[in-house]
Amino acid sequence: MKKIKYSAILFVAMFALSNCNKKLDVIPQQNITPDQITTADDVKALLFGEYSLMQNANGFGEQLIFIPDLLADENQVDFVGTFTNYKDIFNKTEDKQNSVPAGIWSNMYLVLNLSNTVLNKINLIDPSEQDEITGEAEFMRGVALFEMVKLFGLPYSAGNVSINPGVPIVLDPPKYVYDPTNALVSRASVGDVYAQVLKDLKDAADKLPASQDDNRADQYAAKAFLSRVYLQMGDYANAATMANDVISSGKYNLVSTFNQAFNNVSNSQEDVFAIQQTAQSNAGTSNNGLTTFYSPTPQGRGDAQVDAGYKSFFGTGDFRKTFTQSGSSIGGLSGKYTLKWADFYKAIPVIRLAEMYLTRGEANLRNGGSPIGGIDPLDDINTVRLRSGATALGSVTGNDFVDERMRELGFEGDRLWTLKRLQMDVSGLPYTNNKLVLPIPQREIEVNSNLVQNPGY
Amino acid sequence: MKRIISLITCLWLVTATSWAQSGSSISGTVTDSKDNSPLSGVTVAVKGKDLLTQTDKKGVFKIQVPDGPQILVFTFVGFTDIELPASNNMQVSMNSTEKTLNEVIVVGYGKAVKRDVTGSISKVGSKDIQNVQAPSFESALQGKAAGVVIESGSGKLGQGIKVSIRGTSSISASSQPLYVIDGLPVTTSSQSDPNNDPTNPLADINPNDIESVEILKDASAAAIYGARAANGVVLITTKKGRNNEKTTFEVNAFNSWSNPARKWKFLNAQQYVDLIELAAKSDGTYDFNNGISGYTDVNAAIADYKNFYESNILDYFSLGTDWKKAAVNTDWQSLLYNKDALTNQVDVSAYGGDAKTKFYVSGFYNKQDAIVIDNRFYRYGGRLNIDHTATDKLSFGVNLSVDRSQLNRVTTDNAFSTPGQLVAQLPISPLYDPKTGDLNSNTLYSNGLFDAQFNSDIQVTFRTLGNAYLNYNFLPSLAFRSEVGADILNLEEDAFQGKETIDGGGVGKASAIISQSASLNTNNYFTYTPNLGEKNKLNAVAGMSYLQNDNKNAQSFGENIPSDAIKNLSGTTQITFANSTGARYTFLSYFLRANYSFNNKYLLSASVRADASSRFGPNNRYGYFPAFSAGWVLSQEKFLENNKFINFLKLRASWGQTGNAEIGEGNYLALYGVSNYPNLPGYIPVSLANPDLQWEKTKQTDIGLDFAILNNRITGELDYYKKMTTDLLLNVNVPSTTGYSSYLKNLGSMENEGYEITLNSKNIDGAFKWNTNFNIGFNRNKVLDIQGQVIEGGFGLTQRAIAGQPIGVFYGQQFLGVDPQTGDALYLGTDGKATSDYGQAALVVLGKSNPDFTGGFTNTFSYKGFDLSAFFTFVSGNMIYNAGGVYMTGGFFNGFDNQTIDELNAWTGPGDVTNTPRAGYFYGSGYQNSSRFLYDGSYIRLKNVSFGYNLPKSMMDSWHISSARLYVSGTNLWTGTKYPGDPEVNTQTFGNIGGGQDFYTIPQAKTITVGLNIKF
Repeated sequence: MKKIKYSAILFVAMFALSNCNKKLDVIPQQNITPDQITTADDVKALLFGEYSLMQNANGFGEQLIFIPDLLADENQVDFVGTFTNYKDIFNKTEDKQNSVPAGIWSNMYLVLNLSNTVLNKINLIDPSEQDEITGEAEFMRGVALFEMVKLFGLPYSAGNVSINPGVPIVLDPPKYVYDPTNALVSRASVGDVYAQVLKDLKDAADKLPASQDDNRADQYAAKAFLSRVYLQMGDYANAATMANDVISSGKYNLVSTFNQAFNNVSNSQEDVFAIQQTAQSNAGTSNNGLTTFYSPTPQGRGDAQVDAGYKSFFGTGDFRKTFTQSGSSIGGLSGKYTLKWADFYKAIPVIRLAEMYLTRGEANLRNGGSPIGGIDPLDDINTVRLRSGATALGSVTGNDFVDERMRELGFEGDRLWTLKRLQMDVSGLPYTNNKLVLPIPQREIEVNSNLVQNPGY
Repeated sequence: MKRIISLITCLWLVTATSWAQSGSSISGTVTDSKDNSPLSGVTVAVKGKDLLTQTDKKGVFKIQVPDGPQILVFTFVGFTDIELPASNNMQVSMNSTEKTLNEVIVVGYGKAVKRDVTGSISKVGSKDIQNVQAPSFESALQGKAAGVVIESGSGKLGQGIKVSIRGTSSISASSQPLYVIDGLPVTTSSQSDPNNDPTNPLADINPNDIESVEILKDASAAAIYGARAANGVVLITTKKGRNNEKTTFEVNAFNSWSNPARKWKFLNAQQYVDLIELAAKSDGTYDFNNGISGYTDVNAAIADYKNFYESNILDYFSLGTDWKKAAVNTDWQSLLYNKDALTNQVDVSAYGGDAKTKFYVSGFYNKQDAIVIDNRFYRYGGRLNIDHTATDKLSFGVNLSVDRSQLNRVTTDNAFSTPGQLVAQLPISPLYDPKTGDLNSNTLYSNGLFDAQFNSDIQVTFRTLGNAYLNYNFLPSLAFRSEVGADILNLEEDAFQGKETIDGGGVGKASAIISQSASLNTNNYFTYTPNLGEKNKLNAVAGMSYLQNDNKNAQSFGENIPSDAIKNLSGTTQITFANSTGARYTFLSYFLRANYSFNNKYLLSASVRADASSRFGPNNRYGYFPAFSAGWVLSQEKFLENNKFINFLKLRASWGQTGNAEIGEGNYLALYGVSNYPNLPGYIPVSLANPDLQWEKTKQTDIGLDFAILNNRITGELDYYKKMTTDLLLNVNVPSTTGYSSYLKNLGSMENEGYEITLNSKNIDGAFKWNTNFNIGFNRNKVLDIQGQVIEGGFGLTQRAIAGQPIGVFYGQQFLGVDPQTGDALYLGTDGKATSDYGQAALVVLGKSNPDFTGGFTNTFSYKGFDLSAFFTFVSGNMIYNAGGVYMTGGFFNGFDNQTIDELNAWTGPGDVTNTPRAGYFYGSGYQNSSRFLYDGSYIRLKNVSFGYNLPKSMMDSWHISSARLYVSGTNLWTGTKYPGDPEVNTQTFGNIGGGQDFYTIPQAKTITVGLNIKF
């Protein structure tokens, strides 16, 4: 009897033990591992992940638009909030430990990581779709590198593009186990980064279809970005060509009134590329996102107010001058707020058709000769002005375009790049001032000895 | 076991028959020497005879003894045996074994007598835990055990508590100890809204159910818990009944009243106006001097700035009241506190047993109001512990508790809506709008009183903790024990933010979180205790353990409510986020331990545990954790045997290795997570793989001395230890250009070295008693090697792990003072000289957040029915950073917040020698994070003082109760510190690097308690 009892207990114990070992293999319930990327849908999901990154606060959801405007704050934006990282950038006193550059940096390289993975696994995509998926991945990579090189390097207009450091170019698919031998990348020159950006965007423009569902990037989005790249490079002929391609596609129209271009549920007729947002998917509603900063309390924080000097840019009757609301910041300061980012969960225009008119006009003007697209620069600027009830200009200069871009594209992250490409002072500082270039994040310098810090940090 | 049972049976028979015998009848009363309360159930035996009885519940015994001089032996669990000559009407006072060498200590998978223990274990008994006015029992351990540091982050209720045993032994993994309740490892990590502060699941345990807490500090004691023991183990044993004891009922009740222990000193209205005027003057002068706006006259500049400040701040926020005359002087700080916040607790327990079954049953109700508005904690629950001996071979039992707690929460310290931030409002801001009479909605920051009025955040937790065991004695020397336990925690948190409030965003928001954590644990082990004669004692344990935890979490957030009437998610019309997640972890372990003692003189112990966990990849899934220890009882040796001075002396030494796996799930895998973009669901990379990931290991050496001298009046323990942690589980930064920012890797090492001294002294022992208990723990932490990794934490001022420095040193710009000519803050520059350019300041180590030493001392006095105790805790050598300083002492640069009074010393003009830089919204200085806001955090605190009175026996008899104690106690009544706020502060309760930062954090409570304890 006793023996039976003992063996029964031992048997139960053994059984329990043998079962236990299997219990150690626990599979994550809300993540996948790289070996689970096996289908076309999996690869597309990686591509779609990039849209999410572009949408978040370190992308176009906030910082790629807001940070350039904080740097080019003069007559545009006042930062009255309490977040020292933003306030320091606004005051041009940012240091190398500022979290904003670090956030943009890691987010944009995550975009590269995904693009490179998609391109590496393109064989999983049906051959008929491979071109457009390739183009879309290249579009994302080109845009990310372009935004990075502008923020972290001296502008193209400063010359020495083969010497001035830009940002590292990463084109290889990621390793899933960290390997320092190929991870310690160096900064490529500004010229090399621009070359890669052109290569990616041009290939994207070739491969992407003329239109896509769900407001994904199409060939015109790639061309619109190319027009920006060429404009930065002072390549006016190509800038005008690209802008003209977008305008003459007939796909886009200026919305009839300026206010209709903003706070739309999805792309307006004039959006060439826009970031989508919903209540469930957005760049933030409490500490991040354009609306959080640009909308007064209680909806937003109201940290970014319209500078008193902004209205001096406008003549009478210009609707854009009054496209503001009164309100107060979370820190208790009352002021004016732009209505461009007034509502949560709305599409964020990244490139609008109006910009293409201004780019084509300015590029044609500065290029001289017969205008590409056959439209006089004066007509291009007036197309934009008349939509908002501003008086038509009788003649146009390069500076008219600079100011018109401020009027039309204020708070949309354009001013800094316009001033820099034209070697104009930014907020009272020379366009090559150290503080107008973001620091390479300190943590990146510390983990990668091959990275050189920007001067002044 | 068989012997004990037969002995007990014998006892009863003998007791029953003893009346029939001849001789004389002796009677008497047995009391507890500590408070003279009667002891029931004490066995009274005639020495050398089979004659015995027990005391009744009034402590009275009566026994027939043979004629002639006889010796009576009094024995009682938990008390030292006494032998006294029999005499009539004996008054016997028994000493508790608590804090003596005969004390029984709970160890991993067993028990031991303190005399025989070779590891370092601190025991805190129920008397120290019972009725402590604290939200959770860990608070009661503060200052009671050497080397155990308890940090309650704030005076908010139900919040996480950081416990470090012998320093911090990890950088990226958790450094919290393992908690084991009646053999069952329990869930201690916060299950509530991750956007708010972590809450403390241990707060669900009724402190009055706890019999003892044993803290296993060295490797020899803890290694039997191997993989999870590197941070120490806290063993909690709940109360049990006693065999052959008449049922005793015990009622505890107390009421207490709390107020903040320390407040900050802020400006009043007049001082605020004065400082604003000074800022206008400073800004105007600075603008003029630096030619910023092109003023030609300094007075014109000042006038412009004065106008800006007066119209935008003073006029605007005073709502038409006369700020010039300080017509309104609102003390916003006082509005965030409840006055005399009330706590009541009632608990009732019953315990006892017969020869075969013993039980403990209890129920409790506790309701606490925090000192901060809107923060409340209600708990009720019950416990049933039953042990039954079925046969001489088989016994079994169950420990089961069921609790419900409700926590009404306030938002985290870093939220505009949190009551703690009300101090930022201006003293010139009226509380009520003079025009409308309504609560002022036109305050500098949104008025948090709206949030207090309209918002709610209610977390309800149901906790079931239970285990059942079976004990089977195969042989008298071989026992098998099997335990199966479950810890089931269900949490629901419903939060609501009204339309009027800042958190409601003008649309109203609500959320619902449901979280479930279920742990299943089984321990199965054999205990072998062969009879090797008088001199040799062996105790061996071998067994296995399996733990499986499943965590489920569902969260939904919505917004857009019709009105504030429906205060939960069902009132919202737009879901902004909804998700449900699950995670599982498992541990499979095997363990062996042998304790051997020779002649009670030489003690040897060895153990090994093998652990495997789902948290590590197949490459390194198993970890092995050995430990060895030895003890030498010198007082048993001939040369000390009859020493009058030294009564007991034991030297012990141990070495062992323990592990840490508290890193969360799936860290050895490369993972993608789901990304959400409208119509384009995707994946984004989350983590890099590390197939070689393995256990973090801590090797610890401990050398200790236990002693008793002067007739056992002074007992104590001295310990020296050195802990070396290697293969640290570190989040190692990698270049973000890879698409990843860090991954978890075993890298680097860290050490903790320290001394601990515990002294217990009976200073006066007689009718009047005076005891002193003292403990102090010194710990020096040093990060040895992290291979240049930058690992940061902290809140306002960065804290870092830096090789050669203690973990979590404050790291940043060193404030050197103020330039008397310009009012600029001066910092230590990279060239070693002072600079006024913050951007050029060198980043240096500014101080450490870990104390040099901590401890406590208690003096207890008793006389007749009265007892008085005073308990001090102290912490020394740590720094506290006031992260709110950049706002509350930032000279308006970071906002027009009301300032602390030290800002009144702001620089006034050239030649002003001061330590407070130039104030000014536009051109202020010294407003950034730097050592300017870093303070010495040392403190000494009168943690508890209590005065009790045991009602006299004569009264008891007429009321048919056996004892009654009335007491008054005070908590945190006095604090000595240089820190201007409350030094027991930590706005980031968890995390090993961040610590000692204050950000509008609620101070600890200062409490007066009146209570009653009755037994009948």
